[in-house]
Amino acid sequence: MIDNWAAFWTWVLIITAILFSCLGIVVAIGGFFDIRTLLQTMDRQHQDTEEQGGDENQK
Amino acid sequence: MEFSTNFTHWDWAIVVIYLSGSVVIGLYANRYIRNMADYIVAGRSLRSYISIATMLGSEVGLVTVMYTSQKGFTGGFSAFHIGLCAGLGPLIVGLTGIIVVPLREAQVKTIPEFYGQRFSTGVRVLGGLILTVAGVLNMGVFLKAGAIFLTALTGVHDPTTVNVVMTLLIVLVLIYTILGGMVSVVITDYIQFIVLSLGLMLTAFFAARQLGWTHIVQTVEKVHGESGFNPFAEGEYGLSYVIWSFVLFGLVSSAVWPTAVIRACAAENVQVVRRLYTFSSIGFMTRFILPQFLGICALVYFWQDAVGRELFFTAEGGVVDNPDLTLKAMPTFLAQILPAGAIGIVCAGMLAAFMSTHDSYLLCWASVFVEDVINPLMGGELATRTRLTLARIFILVIAVFLLIWSLWYPLGQDMLDYLAVTGGVYASGALALLLLGLYWERSSNVGAYFALLSGLFAVLGLKPVQRQLELADRLGFEPTGAQIGLLTLLLSVGTMVLGSFLFPNASAKWKES
Repeated sequence: MIDNWAAFWTWVLIITAILFSCLGIVVAIGGFFDIRTLLQTMDRQHQDTEEQGGDENQK
Repeated sequence: MEFSTNFTHWDWAIVVIYLSGSVVIGLYANRYIRNMADYIVAGRSLRSYISIATMLGSEVGLVTVMYTSQKGFTGGFSAFHIGLCAGLGPLIVGLTGIIVVPLREAQVKTIPEFYGQRFSTGVRVLGGLILTVAGVLNMGVFLKAGAIFLTALTGVHDPTTVNVVMTLLIVLVLIYTILGGMVSVVITDYIQFIVLSLGLMLTAFFAARQLGWTHIVQTVEKVHGESGFNPFAEGEYGLSYVIWSFVLFGLVSSAVWPTAVIRACAAENVQVVRRLYTFSSIGFMTRFILPQFLGICALVYFWQDAVGRELFFTAEGGVVDNPDLTLKAMPTFLAQILPAGAIGIVCAGMLAAFMSTHDSYLLCWASVFVEDVINPLMGGELATRTRLTLARIFILVIAVFLLIWSLWYPLGQDMLDYLAVTGGVYASGALALLLLGLYWERSSNVGAYFALLSGLFAVLGLKPVQRQLELADRLGFEPTGAQIGLLTLLLSVGTMVLGSFLFPNASAKWKES
C-alpha cells in the first residue's frame, strides 16, 4: 500500500516540477512584453482622458 | 539549541541590493496612478502572462513556503494532497469560468462590490467588514513566519535585530504600495515570481540530490508510517481534512479569496480570466508541493542528525507537537545545506516574496475597507482623492496592527490551519453568497446576511478560542479546524437558502440589472 502511494507521489512531484519549469519560462518571457504593453496602455488611457477634458478625480 | 548557518556577509549584500532594486521599481510605478481603477486594478489592463505572474507572485510567498513546508515536515508525502486539491480547484474554475467570469463581467473591483450589486448596500458593508477583519487576522501571523525564517536562515538570533529587520521590510512595502498601488504590485510580483520559482526549483533539486530519493521515502515511512503517504489514513489528515482542503485550498483560495479574485477583476477580458486560472493551476499546485517537499527533506535531514533528532522528534520517534518549532525546520535545513551565495539569493527571493505578499494583501484589505465599508456608509459620494488617501492611511493602520498582533498571538496549531480557520471566517459566507448569488435567482438579502453571519462560527476552529471556551470538554472531543470549517460552510449555505425562502426579496434585482 505504502509503495503504491510513494510511487504516486513521486510522479506527482516530477510532473509538478516539469510543468512549473515550463510555466516559469513562458510566463517570464510573455510577462515582460505584457508589462511593456500595460504601461503603454495606461499612458494612452490617461492621454485620452486628458484630451477629452475628463477630471479623473471624479472617477 | 542553535544550528550553524552558511549565511555570510556576501549573502547580506545580495539581500540588500535585491530588495533595494525591487523598491525602486515599485516607486517608479507611482507615475502611472491617476485614479482609483489604476490604483486597485491597474486600469483593468492586465494581459494573460503578467496576470499569471502577478497572481503567483502574490500567492507563492515566504509565508506560503513556510506553512506548507511545515505541513511536509509534520505530515510527510500525504501533505501533497493539499497541493493536488490546490491545483484542481483553479483548473476547474478556469475551464468552467465558475464565479470568476460572471464577476469579471459584472465589472466589479472587489467581491463586496458584487454583494452591493446583487443584494444591497447593507450586505456590501457587512461583507466588506467581515472580509477586512478576517483578512487582516489572516495576515496576522505573516510577520511571525518571516521572523522565524530570517532567524533560522541567517543565524541572527537577537530578537531586537530580527524585529528591526522585519519592521524595515514592512516600511519598504508600505512605501511602494502606498505610492504605486496595483501597478507597482504587478511589476514587483513579476520579478519576485521569477526569482522565487528559480530558487524553489533549484533548492528542491539540490536537497533531493543530497539526501537521495530512496532514503527520503524510507525515513518518512519510519517517522510517519502509512499516514505519511496515505492522506485518508488516521493521523495528520483524514477524510474531513481532504474534503476541506479541496474546498478551501482548491476553490476558495482561487475563486473566492479576494487577493486572487482581484486579478480576475483586473484582467483585460474574460478569455484572459479563463486562461489565467487554467495556467495558474500549475502554480497553485506547485506552491504547495515544492515547499512541502523541502519540509520532507528537512524531516529526513534532522532525523539522521543527533542534535536535530533531539530537537524535532519525540523519544518515540514522532514529530514534536510544537508548531513554533516545526515552522523553523525548513529554513534551518536550508541554512545547513545551501552554500554561501546561493543562500543569499534564496533569502533575497524569499524576503522579496514576503514583501510581494504583503503589498497585495495590504492593498486588497485597505481597498475593500474604503470602497465597500467607508464609501457606501458615506453615501458613495467620496471623491477619488479622498478614497486614495483613506486607502493609504488604512494600509498604514493595518501594518501597525500586524506588528503588534504577530508579537503576542500564540499560534497553538500549524500555521496552515490557523490561516485556513481565519480565511474560513470570510470564505464560508462568501462562497455561499457568490455561488447562490450568481446562480440562484431566489437568493435574497436576508439570506445573504444569515450566510455572512454564519461564517463567523469558523473562528471556533482556532485553538486558543477552543481553549478559552473549553470546547473539547463541552463536546466530549476536540474538533479539528477542518471539521468546524466544513460545518460552518454547510451552515452558511443552509442559512442562506432558509433565509431566502423565508424572506424573499420584493423584486429580482440581479436579473433586472
